[in-house]
Amino acid sequence: MKKIGMALLFFLFMSQTVYADFDVQEAINVAKPGEIVHIPAGRYRGNFIVTKPITLQGEEGTELIGESDKPALRIENTTNVSVENITLSGKSKAIVVSNVDGLKLRKLQMKDVHTGVHIQRCKNVRIQEINVTGIEDHYSQKGNGLAVYKSEDITIEGNTIEQVQDGIYVEEVKRIVVQRNKVTSSRYGTHLMYTSDAKALFNTYVHNVTGLMIMMTTDILLENNTIANHFDFNGYGMLLFDVQQAKIKHNTIKNNRTGVAMQKSSTIQIETNDFQMNQTALEGTKVSNDTLASSNNFTGNILTARSDQQGFQLKNNYYDDYSGIDLKDNGVGDIPYVAVSSFGQWMVRQPVYQYFVASPSVLLLTSLDQQINKTEKNMLVDHTPKLAMKYVQEKNKMNVVQMLVGLFLALSSLWLWKRGITE
Amino acid sequence: MKKWLMSVLLCCGVLVGCSEKTYEPREIVSETDVCKICNMSIVHNAYAGQIALKNGDYEMFDDIGCLMEYMKANGEDVVGAAYIKDAAKNEWIDVINAVYVYNKDYWTPMNYGVVAFDSKEAAQEWMTTEGEGQLLDYKDLHDFKWGIHK
Repeated sequence: MKKIGMALLFFLFMSQTVYADFDVQEAINVAKPGEIVHIPAGRYRGNFIVTKPITLQGEEGTELIGESDKPALRIENTTNVSVENITLSGKSKAIVVSNVDGLKLRKLQMKDVHTGVHIQRCKNVRIQEINVTGIEDHYSQKGNGLAVYKSEDITIEGNTIEQVQDGIYVEEVKRIVVQRNKVTSSRYGTHLMYTSDAKALFNTYVHNVTGLMIMMTTDILLENNTIANHFDFNGYGMLLFDVQQAKIKHNTIKNNRTGVAMQKSSTIQIETNDFQMNQTALEGTKVSNDTLASSNNFTGNILTARSDQQGFQLKNNYYDDYSGIDLKDNGVGDIPYVAVSSFGQWMVRQPVYQYFVASPSVLLLTSLDQQINKTEKNMLVDHTPKLAMKYVQEKNKMNVVQMLVGLFLALSSLWLWKRGITE
Repeated sequence: MKKWLMSVLLCCGVLVGCSEKTYEPREIVSETDVCKICNMSIVHNAYAGQIALKNGDYEMFDDIGCLMEYMKANGEDVVGAAYIKDAAKNEWIDVINAVYVYNKDYWTPMNYGVVAFDSKEAAQEWMTTEGEGQLLDYKDLHDFKWGIHK
């Protein structure tokens, strides 16, 4: 019995350390440009390098394990390389790509790596269906899930990333689409820096410090993303710092410390988003006058909007705490909605005040604000607040049958009454 | 006797009041420290900076460029001391005494490409491995054009 147990233990441990005989690097070396290198199932230890246009194709159970502190796979100075269906692991970066025009990475698994994919000075890159799981540690000790530097024409879609520093880190990139990705338990979901012509669409960012961190970037579209549960001391759903020309549309932004924050930014359009249950829905400091939040729904937020002296424009939004009436019956409140709050302004200056946000004294102060600020004309004032999230104007319908019956009854009553008088 | 004691206590008080206040750098807390200027959390400690204000508060920065922007915006009168991390040794050094090297291809959190060292020798050693750069001192940083350079 003891022998059988020992044998089972032997196989259990040995199965983790057995490596396949197939020589991956040799297969890469002998492959001609355009060929597909099939890597059979097995665990291959080494630091592999590709410098020619080929496809590396694994199968279920194919794993490349990086040795020492070097990447498991490097792709350099070439064109048209594809890598698919492979698991990569190791202490350092899983894949490093430099100076490649035409790269496809698809269906790759990366586990317990410091950094998933590091791409620099590349063009025409497509990264699809990659799973990256970082090491168990504080995010300051980790690398990024997918990082792209100084590159052009990038598509990152359908990836799942967790437990890294920044899920998708993008620096000095022109033309990038980040779509249908899911990033959780990381520092920033997607972090854009010095980038232009960027789109983030249909992504899900949950339980990071900040969902979308956009810095020194121009011409961006953030649409149909779900950004939730960023409630750390420094947490934001989205933070835009020094951003010009951004459109933020159709996003669901809920349960964040601050839903959308803008700093030193200009020409930002925030429209048709759902802001739900955020501590503060919208925050702006040093934003230009042409920044506009319109047709959004604000429900269940503690503070709707706060800003410095400059403020930003609010127009035609729905606010669940608006108490006006609509005598004109056009779906728009007859008195303006004033979002200015003394406490909100203080919280911009001293973030630690957030811990008093629902205290009785702050509630009293907010009630007083709502009375006093009715005279506020410009800053954080919506002159056309919507009364319902979806306003449907009821047309006056005429029921002919009901009208005829009513008319008959009225005339009959009149006739009976008159007959009663005359008799 | 009482008068003597009072005089001694008064002198001690005056001396304590006149003594120069010292400002020590504090350690970075990655969980909560964010850059005062750009709001990025401070995770790349080798490039971090901090200012100990005269009122006892500390402001943290992720990059020397952000620290200089704060100085420019708030003036140096409020500053008790300012420190920057030595990029090679990861130790705090006074921003005024530090030696800086600029190369547009050096990576820093804000990508400004300026890193700090405690001596010229350390800066030279850095340049032998990371690429040649332009030596700067603290005065040069005031006129430096912060941003990425093509």
